[in-house]
Amino acid sequence: MNRIGFMARKEVYHILRDPRSLAVVFAMPLLMTFLYGFAINLDIENVVIGIVDLDRSKESRDLALDFYGSPYFSAPRSEADLIDMEGTLRRREAAGVLVIEPGFGDAVANGRHFSLGLLVDGSDNLLAAAVQAYSQGVLAEFLADRLPPGAPRPGVELSQEVLFNPDLVSSYFFVPGIVAVILIMISALLTSVTLAREKETGTMEQLLVAPVKPREIVVGKVLPYILIAFIDGMLVLLFARFVFGLPFVGSVLLLMLFTVLYVSASLSVGILISSRVATQQVAMMFALVLTMLPSIMLSGYIFSTRIMPLPLRVISHIVPARYYITAIRGILLKGSGAQALAVPAAGLAVLTLVLISVATKSFKRGVG
Amino acid sequence: MRAFVGLIRKEFRQVFRDTNMVRIIFAMPIIQLLVLGYAVDLDVKHIPTDVYDFDRSEQSRALVEALRAGEYFTITSDIEPMTAYPVSDVRGRFQDGSSEMAVIIPADFSERLQRGERPSVGLIADGANASQARTGLGYARQIIADFGADAAGAHPPVAVRQRVLYNPEQESVYFMVPGIVATLLTMITVMLTSMAIVREKETGTLEQILVTPISGTALLMGKLASFAILGFVEITFALAFGILWFKIPFAGSPVLLFVLSAVYLLSTLGVGLLFSTVTGTQQQAMFFAWFFMIFTILTSGFMTPISNMPRVIQYVTYLNPMRYYLEIVRGIVMRGAGARDLAHNIYPMFIYGAGIFTVASLRFRRRVK
Repeated sequence: MNRIGFMARKEVYHILRDPRSLAVVFAMPLLMTFLYGFAINLDIENVVIGIVDLDRSKESRDLALDFYGSPYFSAPRSEADLIDMEGTLRRREAAGVLVIEPGFGDAVANGRHFSLGLLVDGSDNLLAAAVQAYSQGVLAEFLADRLPPGAPRPGVELSQEVLFNPDLVSSYFFVPGIVAVILIMISALLTSVTLAREKETGTMEQLLVAPVKPREIVVGKVLPYILIAFIDGMLVLLFARFVFGLPFVGSVLLLMLFTVLYVSASLSVGILISSRVATQQVAMMFALVLTMLPSIMLSGYIFSTRIMPLPLRVISHIVPARYYITAIRGILLKGSGAQALAVPAAGLAVLTLVLISVATKSFKRGVG
Repeated sequence: MRAFVGLIRKEFRQVFRDTNMVRIIFAMPIIQLLVLGYAVDLDVKHIPTDVYDFDRSEQSRALVEALRAGEYFTITSDIEPMTAYPVSDVRGRFQDGSSEMAVIIPADFSERLQRGERPSVGLIADGANASQARTGLGYARQIIADFGADAAGAHPPVAVRQRVLYNPEQESVYFMVPGIVATLLTMITVMLTSMAIVREKETGTLEQILVTPISGTALLMGKLASFAILGFVEITFALAFGILWFKIPFAGSPVLLFVLSAVYLLSTLGVGLLFSTVTGTQQQAMFFAWFFMIFTILTSGFMTPISNMPRVIQYVTYLNPMRYYLEIVRGIVMRGAGARDLAHNIYPMFIYGAGIFTVASLRFRRRVK
């Protein structure tokens, strides 16, 4: 135990000797939270749509006003060359073009059937889906406004209620994911260079002749970073609280507990990489590649794991971010308690133990 | 010229000596393409939904079937209602993640429907996942409205005929592959360049090269040419994989794509070079390269459309060379755009690249001397 303490102390000296890197370790996550938080927003608004009005009736002008008046759509910069519709889309001057053919005004006034043309640029899936859904919505409202007052409106009445985030602010959902992605990247980067640096600079031999066991080296190297990464985590969470207004509904203690579990798992990923590679450069590249992509793609951060093909769904169970994101979303937004979150907690603990023991094993093999 | 070729050979040998590096360079694109190709699905589907059917009539069951019919909702449990209004129940089920939506059909649903009155149906959504809740509520509203209109025999008079150009099936792989190509080219060239010089400094081999009769410019050109070649190999590989495995259609001219990729490389090599002149250790260079990557990827429009970002960030994206390159790759691959269609992206990308490349090489020459 004492020897683990010595290893940890040695690592602390390493950290303190390079204050510039330490400053980066604290500043970088905040900067990234800021960028991620503002850049990722899937509530699509202000989609540029061109409207070619061949009808030129009062109704067609009203419809165009309804489109541009809604927060979903905005007008293209110039309307001059909209007639070349394909060219407009190819140059990406608009995400879609709506064509109102002659006869629209008549049809609306007399309640006759009519169909409008909509050409959509499919090369940006998000925008394409938005154009199609929103134009249906705007049209439906346009028609509903024109029903004679007092006319019977058959059908079904709907009442709806949203729990936990009644204003449907989408950043509340994404920001916990951002926290998870940033924490695992910085944690894995921190520990990934530790063993590789000793190998590269030739101090590994000195370490090996010292009377410490491989497990003590591995654990001792991870320990000091738990504190650093935990502080990082708290900083990012506080930043998210004050900059993005993330609600903190549940227990702060539980949140801290999960953060410690999560950074331990993330640091273990880094030490495992470090035990298997020879240079710092390769270690850092692996740390980025192995943490960034899975934590963004396979964690449920943006893309639901529920609808992935089976192999990916299976892989997602060894992605630490998956458990942490589930847990902090539950704690922060819904006030979920420890009981509801037993599975993610167990997942993180098991992952940490497995990673540490594999790292010890491959470190031993590399040495022996 | 001989010295130049020799330098390129040295550089390649250095990169490929490390089998882990080879793994990163060639396995990374495949893994990215596979994961992105299969994982990325922004469609809202299979929302776990609880149904509280207090009516238990033929009509209420028909409504539940209508909800089940699409891919949107997976009815998790058809709960026998125990309480008059099950909202506390729902709260618990949302908290432990058992369901994310609830539909409540009142006891008088079929009765009022038959009398031509408007029965009321309740929807409760878990707002934690806001965009899913929004879309899910939209789908449910649509399905229930259609159900109501069917029951009453009324239909809206004006319809929309839609035609989707370029990717009519809306395959998300087709959309992602150009983005991955742009990301890979950026990552590989910026990372390798930013660390290359620092590495020679750190391991003390820079002096050895400088005492050879190779000039500073030749040294620089040798390194940059090697990384540019690697970058081209990388994107050719990724595109070929996308075309052969995912069968993505390639609408435009490959020659144009490669020419414009070379123009883009001016920016990434320039940025990498600039980082290597301002940092002292590989770790610092890595941090710089990492931050630059995150910034370029996030503000390029790869994940979310630029038009959707806050205005200030939209202005910032003009400083991001990948913004232009991504438009170019998507334009050529998906829409078959020609040089004239892409002019408004090509000019700024070229100016940016030429500028940053000049500044970086001036700094580099001063440092080597």
